[in-house]
Amino acid sequence: MSDRNFDHATEAFEFIEKLDELATPQDVIDAMESSFSLFGFENFIITGLPNPRERFDQVVVLKKWPAGWFDIYAKEDYVRVDPIIRLCRNTVQPFEWTEAPFDRVSEPRAAEVMDRATDFRMRQGFCLPIHGINGYEACLSMSGVDLDLSSRTKPALHLMTMYVFERARQLLSPGIHRGSDLLTPRERETLLWAAAGKSAADTGDILGITERTVTAHIVSACQKLDATNKTQAVARALQYRLINL
Amino acid sequence: MTQIHVVTGDNRHLYGDGLQQYFRLRHDIFVEERGWKDLYRPDRLEIDRYDNEHAVYLLAIDRERVVGGQRLYPTLLPHMISDVFPHMAGRGIPRASDVFEWTRYFVVRERRTGRTDCRLLAAIQEFCLDEGITELTAVVEMWWLPRWQQAGFKVRPLGLPTMVEGQPCIAAAIRISQESLDHVRRLAGLRGASLVRSGRLSPILDRVPHVAA
Repeated sequence: MSDRNFDHATEAFEFIEKLDELATPQDVIDAMESSFSLFGFENFIITGLPNPRERFDQVVVLKKWPAGWFDIYAKEDYVRVDPIIRLCRNTVQPFEWTEAPFDRVSEPRAAEVMDRATDFRMRQGFCLPIHGINGYEACLSMSGVDLDLSSRTKPALHLMTMYVFERARQLLSPGIHRGSDLLTPRERETLLWAAAGKSAADTGDILGITERTVTAHIVSACQKLDATNKTQAVARALQYRLINL
Repeated sequence: MTQIHVVTGDNRHLYGDGLQQYFRLRHDIFVEERGWKDLYRPDRLEIDRYDNEHAVYLLAIDRERVVGGQRLYPTLLPHMISDVFPHMAGRGIPRASDVFEWTRYFVVRERRTGRTDCRLLAAIQEFCLDEGITELTAVVEMWWLPRWQQAGFKVRPLGLPTMVEGQPCIAAAIRISQESLDHVRRLAGLRGASLVRSGRLSPILDRVPHVAA
């Protein structure tokens, strides 16, 4: 094991062990700033992934972002087109920003958010998606202009980001299970059977409840998901990982 | 309704069909779904060298159908972390009579949105508290960590993440506590004890051979 590698491991374990002592969100930001700057990171954000009815600023957990960038990002609603956010929904593995695909021609807004970020010294980035229980989705994304990202540093960063995410969540995110709050277990269950091609009557037989009750659960899920019918509700529930096939 | 059954060397004769389903599901999930091809067996039953009289299984069973499972094994005996993944535990491998290794956790595909995960996680805490097991060790894919943490589990890394079968994984130790059990029960709306113990079961710690590590 090289000295450098050993240092990363030591830094990671020390960082994790002191997290429990951090009492306020500012303590977490300070700890992140001092440890992640060793790897070249200047900015970071911890945020939930908004569902269609939520605004970006409602789901941000904590951030150290350049003055001005947050306002632009929120005002332009870039969270709907950001390729980093999109990849977060589709992978459980951490990734570098350059690994998040988009098409400059057909997706000019995606190109716009990535380009404008560089005006704020957010040239390179590293992002950890979080897929929790009950459909909770979030991410921790960090950036800078000259990052020390290698096969040796990334495992340490992976571990550090995962633990600091959890500490921030504990301190700041009382509504921790957004997914489960959004849909009840029965609503998720009925949508899941709908996704499997079952009618309300079939689903009622399977779950031992009446067809009418099944329909009531689905109608309720449709309202919560802003869906006009069962098909759209299933699609949205899948998209936001409130259900999984 | 789904219940979690404790299966040990003492009562496994009562679970012939359940264990058969369980080993078949392990093959379906670990070999076919997750692609751990080294575990392939022509009989499609995934059984390894740790499936012996020292293994303890907690099986989620719903009307005779196995829908999830997990295995515990004494760390005083050669176990997976000591045999296969010692390089992942650079900070040391916990080995003691009251420390067990936790392996082969799964939930069948159609139950992954429901409370089965929480039931299994509550069951492992409840079982260990009942039996005096204080800590578990496990190798797990990194993406599982936040799920454990959100369930209230206290997880200490034993090393840095390492690629296993193309996935970043970590060796970790999980502290058993009433607090963690209460947390996961609250999360899933589970009330009270849920373990089913059929037949005569001797205390687990008494079954651990008294060998030096």
